[in-house]
Amino acid sequence: MTALITIIGFLLYLILYFVYGKKIERDVVMASDDNEAPSKRLYDGVDYIAARKEVLFGHHFASIAGAAPIIGPAIAICWGWLPGLLWVWFGNIFIGAVHDYLALMASVRYDGKSIQFVASDIMGKRTGVAFYWIVFFLLILVVAAFSAVIAGLYVGPDGGAIGATYVFKIIAALILGVLLYRVKMNFYVATILGIIMLFIALALGPVFPITLSKITWMWIFFFYIIIAAAIPVNVLLQPRDYLNSFLLYFGLILGFVAAVFAFRGFEVPIASTFSPILLGGKPTPFWPAIPLVIACGSLSGFHSLVASGTTSKQLEKETDALAIGYGAMFMEGFLSTIVIVSIAGFGYTALKNLGVTEAVLNPGNWGAAFTKASASVKMGGANLFVQSYSDMVGSTWLSFIPVKYVKVLAGMWVASFAMTTLDTTNRLARYCISEMALPLKESATGAYNFLTNRWIASIIPAAIGIYLGASGNFLILWGSFGAANQLIAAIALMTGAGFVAKKLKSKFASVAVYPAWLLWITVTCGIAWFIVVVQPGEIAAKPVPGWTVMIISLVLLILNFVFIYDFVKSKAYKVD
Amino acid sequence: MPVRGETVLHRHNCKKLKSRLMGFSTLDSLRRILSAFDASHRERALALTAVEMEELENIFTLLLLGSFVGFPSPPSFLAIELLPFMEKELAVLNKRAKDSGDMLAEMCGTLGID
Repeated sequence: MTALITIIGFLLYLILYFVYGKKIERDVVMASDDNEAPSKRLYDGVDYIAARKEVLFGHHFASIAGAAPIIGPAIAICWGWLPGLLWVWFGNIFIGAVHDYLALMASVRYDGKSIQFVASDIMGKRTGVAFYWIVFFLLILVVAAFSAVIAGLYVGPDGGAIGATYVFKIIAALILGVLLYRVKMNFYVATILGIIMLFIALALGPVFPITLSKITWMWIFFFYIIIAAAIPVNVLLQPRDYLNSFLLYFGLILGFVAAVFAFRGFEVPIASTFSPILLGGKPTPFWPAIPLVIACGSLSGFHSLVASGTTSKQLEKETDALAIGYGAMFMEGFLSTIVIVSIAGFGYTALKNLGVTEAVLNPGNWGAAFTKASASVKMGGANLFVQSYSDMVGSTWLSFIPVKYVKVLAGMWVASFAMTTLDTTNRLARYCISEMALPLKESATGAYNFLTNRWIASIIPAAIGIYLGASGNFLILWGSFGAANQLIAAIALMTGAGFVAKKLKSKFASVAVYPAWLLWITVTCGIAWFIVVVQPGEIAAKPVPGWTVMIISLVLLILNFVFIYDFVKSKAYKVD
Repeated sequence: MPVRGETVLHRHNCKKLKSRLMGFSTLDSLRRILSAFDASHRERALALTAVEMEELENIFTLLLLGSFVGFPSPPSFLAIELLPFMEKELAVLNKRAKDSGDMLAEMCGTLGID
């Protein structure tokens, strides 16, 4: 079953890329190499510069791939393996990949401007301004949810080894930075040394585990993300990202091979109930809650920013965009497929191996049992993935790799990407604050200067995010992160639909317009359900983090309606 | 019956098609994949270094050419002397100044997120 689903997933993506993707390229966007791309038309040798398709694909994929496509599907296994898998596959093919591709192509036709700029042009300036607010709140929730993920991983089973490995990897990255930029060592020699240091870090982690409390880790993250966001990128961020990419490809290849050769039936039931106990301990209906749980494996609003930020400026020709915008999203969906396969095949055993009793782990009532079992061994989605992944690899001919190292590899895979996101968010939040504070520049210069101070602007999102991560309920933070992320996705997809309908006047605009409406309605219902059903319980249990998340959710919901008002008013969905 | 020129063309096309199909199973494909992998790594690393370099360039350009946009800048004789060599930098500075309110997406693309 593991091999079957992996291969079906692979074939499904391959076929629909050529059938559906090509149709969108040909009939909806009408991509043509006769239209010169911005990289050629506006070439400046700095920002606008053409890159080879394969190179740009690698760059784009590395920018969009992270921890979220692993954690979301791992949590969604609560509904059984099929509902989550279907949302990953069909959400990816008909919404997520379309969203990424349209954001990329809209930006290409707008001289490489961002999706935020395109939204302002199609739906009005207010939508562009709302973007900053939504992104800012999303960034706070990202810090909260991802710091909770990493801390959960470091204090969970085998967490000491994973935490230690991460610390050793940071040291390896710092040394690599010195070798590359101070010593100016040959690139290939430095790369080989970097990989050797990465393996040494993986080997040393289990030998010298670091055992700290969750709160201590949170304090470390707080200072780390502020410092990491302030120092030059070539000192830590760049060499660390470089080492991370080896982890990503190595983990992906190992997972694919293991999933194909595991030849194992699924332990997790195909479906549990429509509303298992999940977010905030409440019955969580598959619709409309699923996009709050699975964000990036299926669709993600951040991708529209990445696609319209640097990718569109480096696209060599319009026909390359499908492989990059549409194809990279398929690759991420495939990553989520491997996550679902590993947990569906090995999740039950993984929980039992961690000491969950048969009484708790009742397969006849998987939905409730999963949440309860996860809570009883303090295992979030990330921990479950680490255990299942290592069990999957250990069940194949790859079992010659010691299990403890596979666990550390899988844990590092998740932790590294979550951590990368953390310090990226701080840089982005700093920029958002400076843009959002602009109206104060004339009227309240003192407040403006205070808010835009480099350190203050760093501390605000880090402090709120880490506080929420340390004190809030992880599943609630994850759900609210998903809601904000999907809200951006809805706005970007509607912008893409508006671009296709209003600017390109495509007769096949419905391919974008219908999924855009479907997504907006789902996300709106999801946020409303979250506010009405889930949040009150959290407020009663933990008033400060509960109210903080509630206020953010309410602001997001209001902005959501402001935005749809602009969308309808501008008739962006209508082909003239 | 095809004339000789057409036959040669047909053979040439067949050969081209065959070599393209064979390309998938030869070392050449592997070489291309590895080269793309290598290049995409370099490209990403380069993009991040470029962020730092851009900042230094911006400061350098402002120091030298700030007088043109109203900054009191003592070495204006230097600016005049260097002006012919700074055409590209001026154009880039202008473009960046114009886009400074629309940098969020570019930062996401450069730094990567998710």
